[in-house]
Amino acid sequence: MTETIVFIIAGTLAATVPLLFAAIGELVAEKSGMLNLGVEGMMATGAAAGFVAVTLTGSHAAGFATGAGAGALLSLVYAVLTTLFLANQVAAGLAIGILGLGVSAAIGKRYEGTTVDALPKLDFGPLSDLPLIGRAFFDHDIMVYAVIAAAIATGIVLTKTRLGLVIRAVGESPHSAHALGYPVIAIRAACVLFGGAMAGIGGAYLSTAYTPLWAEGMVAGRGWIVVALIVFGSWMIGRIAFGAYLFGAVSLLELSIQGLGVNVPSQLLSASPYLITIIVLAVISRNPALIRLNSPMSLGESFRASR
Amino acid sequence: MVRLEPRTEKSVAAPFVVTALAIALTLVAGSVLFLIYGKSPIAGFKAFFIEPLQSSYGIGEVLLKMGPLLLIAQGLAIGFRARIWNIGAEGQLILGAIAASMLAIQFDGSASPYLLPGMVLAAAAAGMAWAGIAAWLRTQFNANEILVTFMLSSVALQLLYYLVTGPLKDPMGFNFPQSITFSPAATFPILIENTRVNASLILAFIATLLAFVFMQRSLPGYKLIVGGLAPHAARYAGFSDKKAVWIALLIGGGAAGVAGAGEVAGPLGMLQRNISPGYGYAAIIVAFLGGLHPIGIVFSSALMALIYVGGDFARLSVGLPGAVTTIFQGLLLTFYLACAFLLNYRIRTTRPAPAAVSSSAEATP
Amino acid sequence: MTLAIKKLVRLATMGALALGVAGAASADTLKIGFLYPSPIGDTGWAFELDQGRKAVEEAFGDKVETFFVENVPEGPDAARILNQMAAQGAGMIMAGSFGYMNDGLKLAGQKQDITFIHASGYKTLPNFGNFQTRNYESAYIAGMAAGFVTKSKTLGVVAAYPIPEVVGIINTFTLGAQRTNPDITTKVVWLNSWFNPSKAQESARSLIAQQADVIFSLYQDTPSVVTVAEEEGVYVVNTSSDMKKYAPNHLLASMTIDWGPHFTSQVQATLDGNFKGTAYWGGMADGAVGVASLSSDLTADQVAALTSVMDEIKAGTFHPMTGPITDQDGTEKLADGVAIEDGAMLGINWLVAGVETRIPQ
Repeated sequence: MTETIVFIIAGTLAATVPLLFAAIGELVAEKSGMLNLGVEGMMATGAAAGFVAVTLTGSHAAGFATGAGAGALLSLVYAVLTTLFLANQVAAGLAIGILGLGVSAAIGKRYEGTTVDALPKLDFGPLSDLPLIGRAFFDHDIMVYAVIAAAIATGIVLTKTRLGLVIRAVGESPHSAHALGYPVIAIRAACVLFGGAMAGIGGAYLSTAYTPLWAEGMVAGRGWIVVALIVFGSWMIGRIAFGAYLFGAVSLLELSIQGLGVNVPSQLLSASPYLITIIVLAVISRNPALIRLNSPMSLGESFRASR
Repeated sequence: MVRLEPRTEKSVAAPFVVTALAIALTLVAGSVLFLIYGKSPIAGFKAFFIEPLQSSYGIGEVLLKMGPLLLIAQGLAIGFRARIWNIGAEGQLILGAIAASMLAIQFDGSASPYLLPGMVLAAAAAGMAWAGIAAWLRTQFNANEILVTFMLSSVALQLLYYLVTGPLKDPMGFNFPQSITFSPAATFPILIENTRVNASLILAFIATLLAFVFMQRSLPGYKLIVGGLAPHAARYAGFSDKKAVWIALLIGGGAAGVAGAGEVAGPLGMLQRNISPGYGYAAIIVAFLGGLHPIGIVFSSALMALIYVGGDFARLSVGLPGAVTTIFQGLLLTFYLACAFLLNYRIRTTRPAPAAVSSSAEATP
Repeated sequence: MTLAIKKLVRLATMGALALGVAGAASADTLKIGFLYPSPIGDTGWAFELDQGRKAVEEAFGDKVETFFVENVPEGPDAARILNQMAAQGAGMIMAGSFGYMNDGLKLAGQKQDITFIHASGYKTLPNFGNFQTRNYESAYIAGMAAGFVTKSKTLGVVAAYPIPEVVGIINTFTLGAQRTNPDITTKVVWLNSWFNPSKAQESARSLIAQQADVIFSLYQDTPSVVTVAEEEGVYVVNTSSDMKKYAPNHLLASMTIDWGPHFTSQVQATLDGNFKGTAYWGGMADGAVGVASLSSDLTADQVAALTSVMDEIKAGTFHPMTGPITDQDGTEKLADGVAIEDGAMLGINWLVAGVETRIPQ
């Protein structure tokens, strides 16, 4: 039993990395008012590009960099469509989502089913040797900890810094921000690119560290979960991270329960993130003060400054 | 100084120009893609756009694909015109498929002529109910319908998986997750011999006619469009916002539900895990590409169907990978969105004007 | 290289023949279409089917022309590809997954001049045969090996769907292990997917956490589970392909499939015009299934034990499902000395005592 608990803790920490990286990026994009539904496509593209890079260079750093670049490149299409061409954000997100799935399949075609070496695990010396605790918390690769650091840093930047204030201002009221002299379009585009890069890193982690192999369709709906996570966490990084770890743990628990000989309808567990998110959304939306506090008011709206 | 100016009146030809431009750009990008794969663009496009239309079977396949796309897109476009973003048609389709299948399984072996119409009605009701959840949450709780419809699609998929591995599984099917094969009374009759085109296509065209009448000739349709274009004016005129939400989502959900019945009672003839290759999402592209206009959507659904079928032809005759179809779909929507800009704005070169700020929320598709 | 030479030789002889019988038509080559449910990749189900295609090409040279489409989902689009293959002049079609059955049957009914062979499935027509392997035979051998090496006496299976074929394999795997190590428990995680690499890996890890020290990757199309076992340092058994290169230290055995002989015979029958839509169920005796890459950790005696049982299976003197066998509830399913009938094995939907997980209902 303790082994199973260790497995669930350790497994959750690793399984959540792709979700949380992508969620951090999507949060920043949404905070600036950009609802990018193409996360699945950006993650897939990052996964494929990152995998190819690691295969060719043998360097995981190159893999993450390439994954980030590929995700950002795809999100650039979204940024151009929505900021310059004033396209509907939902449609633009969908467009790059589909495009990304196709492009990832094309990039990865020649590497189908091949593997790369996993990202090495960090050695914490005596900490790693602790019974149970060592394997649960101190037997991971660097990205498991990096994503936590990234989440904390993002939280601080968004809430405590001037940059965060500007991003939030742009998301709340692009027109006021514009009137105050902030370059709304540039800020929104930068946030979208950041979101794309983070989704790309998340995807690259999946294909070069977590699995580590490339197979078409391996992102398997994680991008949709990320979109749900942002709402579940009501646009607050702490709650989003909590949600990400919770969903990771529930999906692993499901597998463990099966092995223990208990049959639960696994579909109910798989659907639970979405069901809970819908409930959370209904609850926070009902109270105008609450929704105003958290969700970016201009989310999903194009902005055009005429001058 | 270059400046953008909203078009005050739109030319009649503009939507066609935009779509044509988007298709042309997709073809150019497609040529590059074919060259990357080391294939001649001419051979590639021939396989994609001409070969499917050279045989009655190929045309039948295009029509078969066109049915659900046309049906769903007509329903979605009505909502989109009212700026109500139902992006969960995939889930509504699945619910429709489930409801239709339940009747088909319950009355297996029946030869009643009412079975199939009953399945269609049940599917429409199930699709509406699923979309109705989003409408209820939006009107009662102010919950964003984009996010709710989107997430309900994922829930619908899990519900389908549960039902085909459990209650609706064929008891004689060796535990494989699929239902029994439906009896003839529970399947749509074939319209053209030696093809798979079935009577559900007629439903899609009826839906087109209804959409046209609704949007162009009826007061509720007019109210919906006004509500979408100018929410404040609409409210001032006493048009209810909540009613618009309900109408838009129920129409979209009902149409998608019927499309689900068309799949399980059409080419599939059973309920299984894979019932739609993403029709619910592709229909969003179709709706935009058709300029959200009932007639435009007829053409855009035919084009999208041709891309699907042509993609499969190209895999065999030219050896292009299946991913090309997906890339084409993505490119088409991307270019359309970029070009649609020209539909609503004109680019003018003028002298600098004093800074002014305006919202463009109602201007873009 | 040798293949190329063989082809050259064949071309040369064919050329000579063609010259000899002046004007012999080259147009009557048999076109054969192959349809795979997943990408061919490097290893796994589709890869082995494709090896079968290559075997056909090698055996018949210019008499046949093969083509394939990979990664075709088991849904409404499979029918179109099948029809398209027919339209392109295919005289024979290999439909490589269970889910193509109904569409394949429909087409076979319409086009009686085309012969079909279909993977797994249970329906046939005069021009529509199906093929399966008796993987339960090699699973028994792999199970025996697992019984030899397990210390925890717990085996973990990452399984696709609970269809009879998979259930039968889990049974003989467990029975084989119990033969060499009586108190074996088998735990199963059902994925409900042929293909979900990360979930397959998570399942393998959860089984390892539950003390399983031999993991069985049952019909997973990727080496995902095999790589996890190598990383975690537990033994692993897998189906379809030899996956030694993915777990050089911890692969216990690979249960291999060779479609070459069957495909070749069916192509020959089609060429000769005497194709019969039969249900082929190839086992060790036919060379269709085998065990490869036995771990060097097994002692010579242990390997000898495995080999002798393999010989018995090949000779037909031993069936892995021979009583006394009781199911999970303790009900006796097969009396002492009674072997299961083929019909019962094809539809098996109960698990043997010792398997802890139930079949989902």
